Amino acid sequence: MSLSDLTKMSEVNKELYMKVLRKLAEEKLFGCFQCSRCTGGCTAFKLLELTPNTVMKLTKLGFINELVDSEIIWTCASCLQCTERCPQRASPYHVIIDLRNLAVERQTKVPEGYLRAVSHILETGLMQPMEKVTAKNMEIFERDTLNLPKIAGASEKFKAIFLETLGGI
Amino acid sequence: MQLAVFWGCKILTSQYAYEMSVRQVTPKLGVELVDLKEVNCCGNPIESVNRLATIYMSARILALTNEIGLRELILPCSRCHFTICETQYLLATDKKLEEKITSMLREENLNYTPDIKIWHTVDLLHDNIGLERIRESVKREMGGLKFASHIGCQAIRPSYMKRVDNAENPRKLDRLIEALGAESIEYPEKLDCCGAALLFSHQEASLSLTGAKLRALQERRVDGLVTSCPSCHIMFDTKQENSAALIGSKLSIPVIYYTQLLGLAMQIKEEDLGLHLNKSPVDAIIEKIEKRSGRTLQF
Repeated sequence: MSLSDLTKMSEVNKELYMKVLRKLAEEKLFGCFQCSRCTGGCTAFKLLELTPNTVMKLTKLGFINELVDSEIIWTCASCLQCTERCPQRASPYHVIIDLRNLAVERQTKVPEGYLRAVSHILETGLMQPMEKVTAKNMEIFERDTLNLPKIAGASEKFKAIFLETLGGI
Repeated sequence: MQLAVFWGCKILTSQYAYEMSVRQVTPKLGVELVDLKEVNCCGNPIESVNRLATIYMSARILALTNEIGLRELILPCSRCHFTICETQYLLATDKKLEEKITSMLREENLNYTPDIKIWHTVDLLHDNIGLERIRESVKREMGGLKFASHIGCQAIRPSYMKRVDNAENPRKLDRLIEALGAESIEYPEKLDCCGAALLFSHQEASLSLTGAKLRALQERRVDGLVTSCPSCHIMFDTKQENSAALIGSKLSIPVIYYTQLLGLAMQIKEEDLGLHLNKSPVDAIIEKIEKRSGRTLQF
């Protein structure tokens, strides 16, 4: 589904619109005047057809359900060019992040990598498990064979607060 | 100078070479690194899941720094650097948020203080230690070698908050390379993204970004690509073969952390710098340095 299709699809959900706009107001969404400098510098535009200025416009118009359900919000490469370039200090990156948060809250399709990261953090505090690495001579190394110090994972209290903040996913 | 260090997940769990080389070169430049008592993820990937959780996680790293009584913290990972600097920026501008985060941290008797000074490997070496001291530490000059630098998106943007270098024209990493006697080229693709953040959702697009940048560099015949971020390094080094297969080119570019290169210039042993762990052909760089070293002064 492309973004241009979205505009033809549905009615504005007013209640959701207000709720999200209040949150997005912090990202200075309303400063956007569609100059499209963000899209001009967007890493994901070339490859995945993300046009940050359209995301800004659609959010402003209230097509939030559509954006949250769309895969387009997951194409951002987090290069921060849009945030850097915006002459109005609006930040498409942060709007996309808020839309992603909303997608997670509503349990729409979230890329698996993020959920894996969450479950690793709940296990050890870090986003991925310790890896064994293979050197060029095929010898396998890990932290202690490389004389790197042991790392203490995060406390149980941290994991509990983290889980609570996520709303018990 | 004593500095607290938080390495971040990528370095602690797989990019051992970066950790080894930073641990090797910093004492030679008068910096003592002190590890935090415990670590959690800085929250960078979790920003897409829940932003409040991210702010809590990165504020906790600052509180843990406070816990060991140090006022300065080095974050060698650009993504950790961005997330933790952003938290510091947000908490300084939003009192209500600061109160909320402070009370979450207090449940563990941790204290958040806003005044911790944050460094990245690049600005620590460039601004604090200084190019002069780096030049003095060089035992093997690298004249004749030509490198490209890649500082990484999240280290330099957005410029309204504290960042490592200029967002449009970052030169610090280049000057650090030049301090070793080597050349650092300017190239049009210098600011192009490595694609690491897309790996979670769009693997092929992510690898094609990596491949495109490496192919452009190969055409410019550089002796290597110098990195300073573990996420970028994974893309250009570990995933170089995968990205070559995806874009249908043969890629063979040595990719090396700046601290590894600095360590080589300081004549630190290769295996202490983790050079045997780089997947790209870094042997080519070592050979070239050794070929030249016959002509340089031995100290």
